[in-house]
Amino acid sequence: MVVDDHPMWRDAVCRDLEAAGLEVVATAATGEEALVRARATRPQVVVLDLQIPPPSGVEVTATLVQDDPTVRVLILSASGEQGDVLDAVKAGATGYLVKSASSAELLDAVRRVALGDTVFTPGLAGLVLGEYRRLAEGPEATGGDGTPRLTERETEVLRLVAKGLSSKQIAERLVLSHRTVQNHVQNTLRKLQLHNRVQLVRYALEQGLDEEH
Amino acid sequence: MAVRPGPDPEAAADQVETTLFRALGVLRLVVLVYALALNLARFEEFTRPRLLLVLLGVMVVWTGFVSWAFDAPRRRGLPLYVADLGVAVGLLLCTPLVESEAMLERHASTVPTFWVIPAVLAWAVGRHWVQALGAAAVLSLADLSVRVEAAGRTWGNIFLLLLAAGVVAYSTRTLRVAVEIRARAEREAAAHAERLRLARAVHDGVLQVLALVQRRGTEAGGSMAEVGRLAGEQEAALRALVQAQDHVDAVDTGGGSVDLLELLPAAPYTVSGPGRPVPMPAPRARELAAVVAACLDNVRRHVGEDAPAWVLVEDLGGSVVVTVRDEGPGIPPGRLDEAEREGRLGVRESIRGRVADLGGEARLVSAPGQGTEWELVVPRG
Repeated sequence: MVVDDHPMWRDAVCRDLEAAGLEVVATAATGEEALVRARATRPQVVVLDLQIPPPSGVEVTATLVQDDPTVRVLILSASGEQGDVLDAVKAGATGYLVKSASSAELLDAVRRVALGDTVFTPGLAGLVLGEYRRLAEGPEATGGDGTPRLTERETEVLRLVAKGLSSKQIAERLVLSHRTVQNHVQNTLRKLQLHNRVQLVRYALEQGLDEEH
Repeated sequence: MAVRPGPDPEAAADQVETTLFRALGVLRLVVLVYALALNLARFEEFTRPRLLLVLLGVMVVWTGFVSWAFDAPRRRGLPLYVADLGVAVGLLLCTPLVESEAMLERHASTVPTFWVIPAVLAWAVGRHWVQALGAAAVLSLADLSVRVEAAGRTWGNIFLLLLAAGVVAYSTRTLRVAVEIRARAEREAAAHAERLRLARAVHDGVLQVLALVQRRGTEAGGSMAEVGRLAGEQEAALRALVQAQDHVDAVDTGGGSVDLLELLPAAPYTVSGPGRPVPMPAPRARELAAVVAACLDNVRRHVGEDAPAWVLVEDLGGSVVVTVRDEGPGIPPGRLDEAEREGRLGVRESIRGRVADLGGEARLVSAPGQGTEWELVVPRG
């Protein structure tokens, strides 16, 4: 499924995907359409622009992943809306690509995301690194076990991704298998997503408890 | 999205007047009660008590009517001011008709007493100060005309009345101007926010089109590939501009420090950062950005004009790490030392030396097939 409010872009992406033999089960121009059509068509992969009429790309990501945990969300955004990208990833998106990427890169990203891989751009890796450092400095950090942390290896891998190395190059440099590199990258995201969910649940519980008083 | 248009300056100033007229309404009530109490207390002394009661009745009715009339801007015309002053003067002039000789002889208070003051203050609030002084003068003349002879206290009252009219008129004018200025500023701020929002929407649209042209152009090849490449460059430049704009809007790092991310060159390189500003003292940030530019310049010269390069900025709290990496063939081990021995200090001097001047360290990682990587670690302050 392709979600973008610019018809021109939507068509271009659809054409590329269909030309490569992938099936586009639905398209949508707004967040609302996206949610309704995703429920009806159950796409494997959703290619999502973050700047769409409400609900926002971040909210759509969260709802899609909640409805169907097997759906893969690939964010395709034009201007580097940095905070939004990070929020979308925390909400459950597993891939991020800027719109200036070539169609070959887009197809590769869609295929890899469909297989369960994580598609990281150097920009996203930088954001995730920054987010972990922010969490480590934050007031919650002293609380201990609740705050997600990166292992040394994960930090190393993320930094290499942020410096523009491909998974293959990283595997070579660290003498690891390609799969292991992918696992490290996925773990960094999974921990952030889990933390995000825990925070939401905690927030909901606190609100609920407060109401009883 | 509906945008709050901000208050209309004229309406805001009218609102100020309405508030002042309401305060004046309270004053009218207070002086009315005072006038009623005073006159009823010396009721026995009046020569025509029935006429006095009629006059007091007029005061009560007029107080109610005029307070209501002044409450709406559209009713505040010149006739209302004139009528208000006229009633006050009329009541003042009726004083000799009801007061006994003895009362007039001992300079007893007039029938309306202080009740006449709000009529003058209304002019001060709603009209020009010259008109307010005129109203005060008219009332003063009326007051003098009913006195057998002017005593010191009468002159004192006249002086106070003129003074109050002038001061209130001046204060109201100042307050009105201030409120108008504030309302105008609020409007401009709202308009500015709206312009920014529109600019962002327009920029996003332009970015989308440029990215599409780049993509289609590259696919089409030939001369279109050149168009695509140009579109790509413009897209990257505009995106950097939009992001820089967002930074300016979001945070004012202040205190002589600047956001390092804003100083780094963007297009056509991939710059990754922590997603929030990396504030540094301005001179240090500028020097570090210059070193990064030197690294990128080196990439252009040794790897290629269009060679890709990645810049990673990490904020470690006490220090800042900037990594510049390219996909070039890499520098064989010992090559830099060799260059130094030969006296060609280019890279080493401009990068290592400048970073050392900042109290930091520049590390070079280079391996065949992995490109070249400069890691610049610089203390923040």
